[in-house]
Amino acid sequence: MDELTREFLIESQEGLDRMERCLTDLEERPQDTELLGEIFRSVHTIKGTTGFLGFKRLEKLAHAGENLLGLLRDGKLQANQGIITGLLQLMDGLRAILRVIEQAGDEGGGEDGALIERLNELQQVDAVAVPVAMSGAMAVKEAEAPMVHRAAPPVAIAKPVVEVAAASPVAREEAAPAADAPKTRTTAASDSTLRVDVVLLNRMMNLVGELVLTRNQILQATSADPNLTLLSRRLDMVTADLRESVMRARMQPVSNVFSKFPRIIRDLSQALHRKVRLVMEGQETELDKSLLEAIKDPLTHAVRNSLDHGIEPPEVRVAAGKDAEGVLKLRAYQESSHVIIEVSDDGAGIHVEKVRNKAIERGLITAERAAHLGERELLQLIFLPGFSTAEAVTNVSGRGVGMDVVRTNVEKIGGKVELDSRPGKGTTLRLRIPLTLAIIPALIVRSLDQSFALPQGALSELVNIPPDKVATAIEWMDGAPLYRLRGKLLPLVFLDRMLSPAGGSKTREAKDHFIAVLDADGRRFGLVVDGLADPEEIVVKPLSSVLKQVGLYTGATVLGSGDLALILDPGSIASRAGVSMRAEEERGSRQGEEEEVLSMSTEFLLVEAAGRRAAVPLGEVLRIERIPLSRIEYFGYRPVLNFEGQLLPIEDSGGVIAAAEGDLEAQLTVVVCREGQRHVGIAVSHVLDVAKGGDLFEAGTQQAANGVTLLKEQVTGIVELRQVPPLPVTGVAQSMETWSSVPEGVA
Amino acid sequence: MSAENALMRQDGPRSLVVAGKREKTAALVELCSVRLGETLFGIPITYILEIVGGTRPQAVPLAPEFVGGLVHYRGDVLTTVSLRQLLGMPAQEGKQDILVLESANGCFGLLVDSVGEVLTVSAAEHEPNPSVLDERRRELFAGAYKLKECLLIMLDPERLDPVRLGAVAA
Repeated sequence: MDELTREFLIESQEGLDRMERCLTDLEERPQDTELLGEIFRSVHTIKGTTGFLGFKRLEKLAHAGENLLGLLRDGKLQANQGIITGLLQLMDGLRAILRVIEQAGDEGGGEDGALIERLNELQQVDAVAVPVAMSGAMAVKEAEAPMVHRAAPPVAIAKPVVEVAAASPVAREEAAPAADAPKTRTTAASDSTLRVDVVLLNRMMNLVGELVLTRNQILQATSADPNLTLLSRRLDMVTADLRESVMRARMQPVSNVFSKFPRIIRDLSQALHRKVRLVMEGQETELDKSLLEAIKDPLTHAVRNSLDHGIEPPEVRVAAGKDAEGVLKLRAYQESSHVIIEVSDDGAGIHVEKVRNKAIERGLITAERAAHLGERELLQLIFLPGFSTAEAVTNVSGRGVGMDVVRTNVEKIGGKVELDSRPGKGTTLRLRIPLTLAIIPALIVRSLDQSFALPQGALSELVNIPPDKVATAIEWMDGAPLYRLRGKLLPLVFLDRMLSPAGGSKTREAKDHFIAVLDADGRRFGLVVDGLADPEEIVVKPLSSVLKQVGLYTGATVLGSGDLALILDPGSIASRAGVSMRAEEERGSRQGEEEEVLSMSTEFLLVEAAGRRAAVPLGEVLRIERIPLSRIEYFGYRPVLNFEGQLLPIEDSGGVIAAAEGDLEAQLTVVVCREGQRHVGIAVSHVLDVAKGGDLFEAGTQQAANGVTLLKEQVTGIVELRQVPPLPVTGVAQSMETWSSVPEGVA
Repeated sequence: MSAENALMRQDGPRSLVVAGKREKTAALVELCSVRLGETLFGIPITYILEIVGGTRPQAVPLAPEFVGGLVHYRGDVLTTVSLRQLLGMPAQEGKQDILVLESANGCFGLLVDSVGEVLTVSAAEHEPNPSVLDERRRELFAGAYKLKECLLIMLDPERLDPVRLGAVAA
């Protein structure tokens, strides 16, 4: 493709982007001649250049659009819904042809007859009511011939004849200044701006990163020499400034992404019969180009969701005492080293109960587990893959992809997603995006006598365990190291052991331990390292594919000391160590991690109680009894089993006994378990299997009542034996006391 | 520079060998000699970007055996291949020299005990790999030159590329 065509493509794309922005504004201010002039110029420029380059198809389409726009600009036609839709279609059509040209080099053999016809029809919408309608219609036919460009304007004037007598000459005169207009505009723009290849910018960014490294080294090397201190401080300042400038050069205003939303919202609100007003704030906020690209899709998802699930249909809104027109607000602002992008609506909000039910219905969570979740935790469920509360699948949303995609995409670029919702008031989704990717703040840690960089984004806190406390502070649960962080169990991963399976240091008790508490995609764990160094702003250098395959490193960097440090990937470390997601997220993270999870697991007896699956820790199971239902007796309201003169309390939270009530032949399966010093029976419908389960020991679920495990690829609630209330028997009550003091003692 | 290199590579050792056999008027080959223990190896100089002496690469835990670690080279982090580890020789303590080589997948470093001089040898002195070599070595070696004092084993830089080695190992 020659330079001229490429230039034309870029220019036309920009023109169409401008046109898109103007078109949506036009809907609100149909009389704005400035807007119309702008749109006209965009199309006119395309038409002018295409004729020159010989793109006939494009020229024909642009010409049809120009005719319509000419009428609008001259005030001879009033922009209305239909016309704007037509113009948007024109824009799409032009874009499509430009795309073909970009890919194939020529405009392809497509036909735009229908669209041109439509554009021509629009020119005389109002004319129908006027007696001259016939002449208008006839002229339209003429306009279809490509060679009668000049014949077109009179067509358009068919209607205005009634109002403006001198319309025809005016239209002709207009043509000349309009042709000049684009020229003057481009000159103005090219005076102050320059197109720069992104590749060149990337290279500059790399070099600046290099400079930052060298500066760091010089700063360290010269700190002792007073003569050099001044110079190096100056170097420091200049480097910082330069880095900022180059970063700025890669920055683009978020309006580049925001600008497509008026159109999306316009189309969606029509498709969904919503009335929506879009408010955009902070469009001038700037973000790195690559990041801007990356948030385009998540943002679109979020906006679609807001329209589909958030903002109610007008009649519902009115009934709820709200304005029939909903407000969708896109807001961008900078907050220290992050850019926050908010998508908020004043719609129905998210009903946590609905979320709870849907999550249970979709099998994303067990009912017991759901019952224990707080409101905030329940809201988080909508980020699970496969979640959707839409009653019906529409082509807008409801296919169960969406929020999880939003979260994954944003987390991929080191960002975070936050969600706030108040039923009846609205929902706010907040995307927290880092300013840049190439330079990240990191904590340098030491292990195996080497430095490693931990991205600060994943780091939540640091814990130091002095040498004499190591033995008591780190607890072991069947081979799994744990640490009590403010009363919650945190799984630990020893970095040296993970990186050097053969030679993990044996003398670990004798030295300081540092725990970096990391939060990787919702998985919380503590990484045990030998030492901590300063936090540093590191420049991420890519690794060769051989080393990427190791899986634990995202890159490498050169430290101020000149040493190299590998950048650790907290997510992969968590996966490799078998740290699973907090229970409610467990399902999402399962793929590919199963083996690791299993290697650190305990075995469970998988049972089914009245249609629900539950897990009983196998270690606690004494035996399984099958008894006739009639043997169940009641002690007060509680079912008990008289077992060789001993009373066995039967836990029936599954409602198995109640379900079988009245059926004298019914058999009941009772799993007899040890619980402290007493025995309890659990009534179940069937015993399904014995299987290894996922972990128990992530933070947040120390109370095993909240415990779930991964059994046979399903998140299964663990039956909590402790919660079986003791029988009001003196002996049992006493043993109960002994039992309940046990965990206290351990703590 | 790369265009020039590409041109030179066409005249690389293997094509020269063929030429040398055809007409005994020996074509000359320039190669860089490197030492590994007692053995002398050679690498065609057309592949060599730079020689960095006395480095201490940063180890990469859990990396494949042949990876000698990472070094900082002109703003990039370079993966190095340890010739010792590749040939199953015991690792050497202390500093090593690095040859920065160019390959289809970018640059990589080759860790050797020490880099010697650039030799000009006659292509007529070249002999292909003997059949007694084990398969792994046959893969890495590109024959040998019969120098006066000893044999100089030619290495094929294309086959030392860590990406390629990684693919073979996998």
